[in-house]
Amino acid sequence: MPSDEDAQQASHKYLKVRDYLVQLTTDELGVGDPIPSERALTQRFGVSRMTIRHAIDSLVSEGLLEKIQGRGTFVSAPRMDFEVRLSTFGEQMHRLGLTASTTVLESGAVAAPAEVASVLGISPGSQVHHLRRQRHADGKPMAVEEAWIPVKLAPALFDDGPPASLYEALRLHGHDPRWGEETLAADSPTDEERHLLDMGGRGAVLRATRRTHADSGAVMFSRACFRGDRYQVWVPLAPPQTPVTPSGATATTTTSKEDS
Amino acid sequence: MTAAEPRAALYLQALGGADNIEDIEPCTTRLRSLVHDPSRVDSAALRELGAFGVMINGRVVQVVVGPDVDVVASEIDDLL
Repeated sequence: MPSDEDAQQASHKYLKVRDYLVQLTTDELGVGDPIPSERALTQRFGVSRMTIRHAIDSLVSEGLLEKIQGRGTFVSAPRMDFEVRLSTFGEQMHRLGLTASTTVLESGAVAAPAEVASVLGISPGSQVHHLRRQRHADGKPMAVEEAWIPVKLAPALFDDGPPASLYEALRLHGHDPRWGEETLAADSPTDEERHLLDMGGRGAVLRATRRTHADSGAVMFSRACFRGDRYQVWVPLAPPQTPVTPSGATATTTTSKEDS
Repeated sequence: MTAAEPRAALYLQALGGADNIEDIEPCTTRLRSLVHDPSRVDSAALRELGAFGVMINGRVVQVVVGPDVDVVASEIDDLL
């Protein structure tokens, strides 16, 4: 019994600290401002340092706050809406008013790995252009992207070095990206991704796997890994369409069938 | 009833026929169908019809058709 009560009280205190910090960061502080020290918060709320840390950590993992080693905890920039449409990183950053830049990690023609070949409908081992890039917004790493395009679709695609925009390059070679499908999944980053994304010791990533189609068929397979604390997925919702059932879901269908 | 669209009739056939369909709906780029017997679905035939992929999960069959899916679905609708 007493332990239940203790636990309840502790969680109540934790929520109080958390609510206070949320209100402070949204209403009073600006992006990049430091939050009060753990010591100050401990004194203000009369709770343990552990409770304060717990509250701060939960807001760090939600992306509201960011910890900078040796300097303290600061209000982080708001998350970016992840665009669920057939656009490129550069186009997305432009719409958000940010400057996109790129570090090319790997570039060249390689033998298509089995998964890539199967998704693109080409034989395993056939040549594909491969490009792996680190993408930045206003100089800060946001994503690591990797893409594969069949060489036979556009043999000269990489002749002048890796193109700045793969979609633009595909357009120039007569394969306008028309539609695609993307799956999104939360995951832990690899150590290399953590390093490339400057993520520190913790946090999840958002993985986006995409197949891009032109009128000629599947033209590109790509995988991107975004910082989980800098993005949120925005999805417009509409009511679902009523599925059609052969036995007659709608009165009109049933009637017409019975009449005939 | 108007003459059946050949494409829709072929899709329907590859899905195991009208009597194999419990319900069917277009979903942005995919034709999503609940079928009675997934073993009657012919993935190879669907791919030959131009589908970019066929995913079967239990009794749910998803056929990647592309942006034309609304047209295909309404043609199938006319046949059901």
